[in-house]
Amino acid sequence: MAQDCNLVIRGKVIHLENNEPIESAYIWINEVERGEITDQDGNFVIRNLCPGSYTIKIQFLGHKEILDTISLNTNSFNKTYRMEEESLDLVGVEIHGHRDAVQTTTALTALYGDELLAARGENLGESLKRIAGVTTFSTGNTISKPVIHGMHSNRIMILNNGIRLEGQQWGAEHAPEIDPFLADEITVVKGAETVRYGPEAMGGVILVNPAPLATKKSRKTELNLLGGTNSRMGNISVTHSGGSGKINGLGYRVQASAKRAGNVKSPDYYQDNTGMSELNFSGALGYSSSKLGIETYYSFFNTSIGILRDAHTGNLSDLEQIIQNGRPFTNADFTYEINNPKQVVSHHLAKVKSHYHLSENWKLNAQYGFQLNLREEYDRRRGDLNDRPSLDLKLYTNTFDLFVDHTHRNEFSGTWGVNLIQQANSNVPGTGVTPLIPNYDMVNVGFYLMEKYSKGPLELEAGLRYDLRNVQTARFIQNELQEADLDYQNFSAFIGGLFQINPRLSFSSNLGSAWRPPNVNELFSQGLHHGAAAVEIGDSELNSEKSFKWVNELEYDHNNLHLEVTGYANQINNYIYLNPTGETVVSLRGTFNVYEYLQANAFFYGFDFAGSYEFTEKISAYAKGSIIRAKNTDENNYFPFIPSDRMDWGFAYDFDSGNGKTNKVTLSNILVAQQTREPDFDIAPAPPGYALFNLAYQKQLQVHSNKLNLGIQVQNIFNTSYKEYMNRFRYFTDDMGRNILLKINYQF
Amino acid sequence: MFNSKKNLVYVMAFFALSFFTACESDDPVIENDAEVITDVILNFQELDATGNLVGAVTTFSASDPQGIEVGATPTIDNVTLTKGKTYQLNIEVRNSIENEDITEEILEEGDEHQFFFLGTAFVGSPVLTYQYDDLSGELIGVQGIVTVAASPGFNNANMRIILRHDLDKNFPGATNPSFENFVQAGGESDLDITFPLILN
Repeated sequence: MAQDCNLVIRGKVIHLENNEPIESAYIWINEVERGEITDQDGNFVIRNLCPGSYTIKIQFLGHKEILDTISLNTNSFNKTYRMEEESLDLVGVEIHGHRDAVQTTTALTALYGDELLAARGENLGESLKRIAGVTTFSTGNTISKPVIHGMHSNRIMILNNGIRLEGQQWGAEHAPEIDPFLADEITVVKGAETVRYGPEAMGGVILVNPAPLATKKSRKTELNLLGGTNSRMGNISVTHSGGSGKINGLGYRVQASAKRAGNVKSPDYYQDNTGMSELNFSGALGYSSSKLGIETYYSFFNTSIGILRDAHTGNLSDLEQIIQNGRPFTNADFTYEINNPKQVVSHHLAKVKSHYHLSENWKLNAQYGFQLNLREEYDRRRGDLNDRPSLDLKLYTNTFDLFVDHTHRNEFSGTWGVNLIQQANSNVPGTGVTPLIPNYDMVNVGFYLMEKYSKGPLELEAGLRYDLRNVQTARFIQNELQEADLDYQNFSAFIGGLFQINPRLSFSSNLGSAWRPPNVNELFSQGLHHGAAAVEIGDSELNSEKSFKWVNELEYDHNNLHLEVTGYANQINNYIYLNPTGETVVSLRGTFNVYEYLQANAFFYGFDFAGSYEFTEKISAYAKGSIIRAKNTDENNYFPFIPSDRMDWGFAYDFDSGNGKTNKVTLSNILVAQQTREPDFDIAPAPPGYALFNLAYQKQLQVHSNKLNLGIQVQNIFNTSYKEYMNRFRYFTDDMGRNILLKINYQF
Repeated sequence: MFNSKKNLVYVMAFFALSFFTACESDDPVIENDAEVITDVILNFQELDATGNLVGAVTTFSASDPQGIEVGATPTIDNVTLTKGKTYQLNIEVRNSIENEDITEEILEEGDEHQFFFLGTAFVGSPVLTYQYDDLSGELIGVQGIVTVAASPGFNNANMRIILRHDLDKNFPGATNPSFENFVQAGGESDLDITFPLILN
């Protein structure tokens, strides 16, 4: 009787240390003398085996060999192998930089390589629009905040090299204080990640990560030069990194970037006072041995941003007039000059991170971060007041993390830790304006644990966290001291899983609870918001928001087809929103709308998709898009500023495919629908939908042993006039017109 | 092995120390609103046929001691003028919180400021007409001449007084003190007050 020799061995090879997949590990089955190499996800398959006993040998440079004897009877064999690094005293062994992978079963998408190159010169929000499900909430063309599944500001979290970015995220016109040039990879986690990263990671997390530091002797420099015709933008960035030849494991990186742009041009006119300048710097020094790793990092971000002159309205009647006009009244020329109203923001971030391998399986990590955020906002004022900011905030944040990671040859791995955040916010006196938010001190302590079980095609993950937060505020209202002492606490938890259905198809699902204590502006705002001609009133009695987000992702990858679909539902209790009261305030300055912070139950759901298909070696197509639905389930109406349905699709032609060097042209079309699910009250109706066409050409050249990447992009080819619903300046102006960009990247 | 453990202790100690010597927020400071206009005073004085000032000054004011505040509305006087007469109008703008005369600042920045006079009193079939008569010769509206119609078509009109800041004074039409499309000249409203007008 013939034996059934159709059995298959499937497996996955990952680093013991950080669970990152190992590509190109060598698999050898002694008995049949057959080998295989793992793919980029660390997976391997060996087919057509008869039942019996086999010895699997796994080898990868610098790692201990794995020998595993198995008996193969069924077709469902699938096992994960964790490879341990060999100790350092072996000559010629490469030491790995320690960048920890995001160990999550949640849907995540990263921007790196060619796609990141194409996004160079854009701010963080704009860059991330390339990821399906991520849009922006912007204030003009220079200030944009990323939106993940309809959530932004304090409902998502941004990590700058592992430290949660603490600026004045609450403000709609407060862009993240981060230089995208410091990133070698930007990852978006679309699930609720409160357990891992602390309160507020409700809608998702954005990780801005530099490349790992070198651990052996090397030198590398990367120069980026960019220019754009619209706003006559110029941008330069230099990164130099290397490793010491004398001290094994010592590496460094310095990076700086500068950007200057003038007035933005809408198709028919210049937007007055929309220039910006930016100057950023970062440096890192690290040491890594087999047992111990230490990294110090500092980044400085500094920007001046002009605010569209016409957006600063005096009162409601001014606002209504400009909305009716549909464009700014001011007829501006081109200039680089930045006048009031403007923002001057700087952000310092310093961190020290260390890990120590307690044993083969246990790693102790400690991370301390210090941040200082300085924000000055200048309005058009009379006389000397014009030189004084109307809002002047100084925010100190200390974060401290202590956690242990354990990874084992068996199926369990996990992280247990404690996280401390301490924050002090002060209004710098001398503005001549009653501060919008009080001075405050905040302390947050969180304890968490997460465990992950991996067996063959299945990964299961669960975590639990407890947080305690205290906020103390003080301010003067009409010469009277007002103080508040508020406590918040919460448990959050998640459970998730990833199942590799077959080598082509994987499915992940994650259900996570998250919470967010009300922010100080929601509790205590009291004042005039010029751009919206609105008086905003906080409520110190607000409760914490609590949410449950369920994210599912299906990923298919086979030959020429790649598909990703993410579906999610997010129930948020006590969702805090700014509600128009319908009342107005009358003053000598005129009339203003009154808005108040309210809470209601909200339900968000939607899906994102991204796919690509290669018709031939030269021609490929892609499409990606997102649909979001968000409803106030108490009032049965809609929230403002929820992204409308959109998709981005296009074709690419590769001139010389196969040699590994990029040389391709992409024509793309962005389609954005009108937001028909509008709130009951808005000062202007949602603008109509629009379609934009973009063209991009990217070429990689080899100059001796160096790499030169050239990119030419034409955005909004037809110079279409449009307004984006998610841009707050849609009330005042059309969006940016045609922009031709030249991007040069040289690596030597 | 032992050494690196010791190093680790030092590193940890450094972390802990930096954390607990963390900074506190500053004590809040009383911030006077320097920008707010709390009082607008209209000083009317009669001009005779030869343009000389006669009689006493009559003042009408609008005041809002707390500036922009929910629940509080400004107190605005009725402006009472006599039919057929011509007045010099001097506008005084004050910040009583800082005890500051803002009129001076407006005059200093005469190129960026301008009053406009609208409402049913000045627009349509006007019962009042305004003419800029500022000492510097610029069109600002701190001083001007108001002429009351001899036989106005109606009474109980509104005088809407607007102070624009940062406008384009060369915008076509902006020389007209009762320019209804003043917003088109750009800038923003620093004042927008409507006084009830009673003609005797």
